Amino acid sequence: MPKTGLTLYKPVDTEQHLLAEFALGERAATEKIYDRHYKILNGWILKNGGSSNDAADIFQESMVILFEKAQNEDFRLSCKIGTYLFAISKNLWYKKIERQHKQPGYLPDNAGSDEGFDKEYEDDINVHVEREMHYETLNAALDQLGEPCRSLLKAFYQQDKSMMEISEEFGYTNPDNAKTQKYKCLTRLRKIFYSVQAK
Amino acid sequence: MPTDYQIWNIAESFVAGILSETELSDLQQRLDAEPAYSAAFRECVDMLRSLDAAAKNKKLRATLKDIQHGAGKHAIEKPRTIPLRSHFFRTAAIAAGIALLTSFSTYWAINNNNKKDLSQYNVLRRELENIKRSQNQLIKDITIKNTQPVSVVKYTGTGFAITNSGYFVTNYHVTEGADSVYIQDHEGDYYKAIVIAYEPKTDLAILKVDDDDFHFGKSEVPYTFAGYKAGLGSRVYTLGYPDDEIVYNEGYISAKNGFQNDSMQYRLELPADPGQSGAPVLDAKGNILGIVTAKGQQNEGNTYAESSEALLQLIHSLPKSMNLHIPKLNKLVKLSREEQIQKLEYYTCSVKVYKK
Repeated sequence: MPKTGLTLYKPVDTEQHLLAEFALGERAATEKIYDRHYKILNGWILKNGGSSNDAADIFQESMVILFEKAQNEDFRLSCKIGTYLFAISKNLWYKKIERQHKQPGYLPDNAGSDEGFDKEYEDDINVHVEREMHYETLNAALDQLGEPCRSLLKAFYQQDKSMMEISEEFGYTNPDNAKTQKYKCLTRLRKIFYSVQAK
Repeated sequence: MPTDYQIWNIAESFVAGILSETELSDLQQRLDAEPAYSAAFRECVDMLRSLDAAAKNKKLRATLKDIQHGAGKHAIEKPRTIPLRSHFFRTAAIAAGIALLTSFSTYWAINNNNKKDLSQYNVLRRELENIKRSQNQLIKDITIKNTQPVSVVKYTGTGFAITNSGYFVTNYHVTEGADSVYIQDHEGDYYKAIVIAYEPKTDLAILKVDDDDFHFGKSEVPYTFAGYKAGLGSRVYTLGYPDDEIVYNEGYISAKNGFQNDSMQYRLELPADPGQSGAPVLDAKGNILGIVTAKGQQNEGNTYAESSEALLQLIHSLPKSMNLHIPKLNKLVKLSREEQIQKLEYYTCSVKVYKK
């Protein structure tokens, strides 16, 4: 097949390169990783008492964990991307089943628990859980800010708008004024965020 | 720019990594010298990094969702086929076999039990009916042989004339749900009758013989209807058709109120048999006091009768255009019991009810 032949010649198609591109948030790299490794996990989840929806949720979480880890420039995977994703996904799935077992009204059966837990990359998952909570606090603080600060910060950080665009959109006379306004908003956000976190 | 905001400016540049060598060393010096500034600076840097990272996280999730949807479209059949792969076949076959067996055996069991259940149900229904009424209605149940289809059941009751021209009264429960009603008079002749009014609450129905030339007797109805409640202990008698032959019974009023203290009824000590529903209850002087309705369950002679007041109420509620005139003259007063009965026979009839 000429298509695979072509990709083989591409020098960037190594795992480390792929990971670096993925860390930058490039869609092509993300899609490639997804396509390569999702099917195996989907099959495994289906065999272990889950649905395709469960598989999609679990795999997404694993991808996010990999992404966060890859943000660190010194990060080097000690194994293949697929191996890492599969191990994390398995761990997440066992945790999910464990949570379900603790719910009232659950009737115990042997589905999925006979293999026992291999708690690989437990630290990575714990860090991830903490980080997600951190983001949640941040988003809550953002929502408490009130207008125009909330929209302004979202426009800058989440929608990648330039200070020029923002000054036009929010009616500031020049980008410097907008920037001052942005710093003002950041100061307020910092106060809310750290007071919430202190609690 | 106010000094408050300068810290953000430097922090932003620091995070972006665009500070020059000299700027960096200046910053380092200041951080070392002022612990308060250092703490504030660290918070600012954390903040900015968190904002960046949170935004990236959000974008990644959006991208992943997008990819999932795309993957879902062209890979929709592949994951679906997994459960049917070869090693599932045996399990599926066993499950299907068990399901088949179960449904067949259930079908067989239901079919086998159906008839038994039905008959039990019928018995139960009859029981319920008894409990509901707690009194046995005196309908006689005759199954017609040969001449009529098996599904047609005939009930008989008793009726007695209100006017000589063919109006008569019986119990509502006798005619309830009837396909057709016939009377058989003293002579044994059949006449068709139609229901013209009824009141389920007092269990009364007024019918008319569907024949303009029909007359019960040679003269007007010889008795009157009591517009009052007769006293406790009054001697009463009745004439009815439990069989093809007219039967006489006598007794007394044992309570002023009827079943469950119904003030429109009497409670009587009077033997009555099925088929006597609708029979007249008269006092010694030939006044109609009531209409035999039901039998109590406790003992044999316990019978209930709707009072004549209830009947008068029903008659008064009818439109005047019907020309239904209540008899005013009591011709039985001075007659002996035997003479009374002789006259009464003409104005009492058997009511035959046909229904499916």
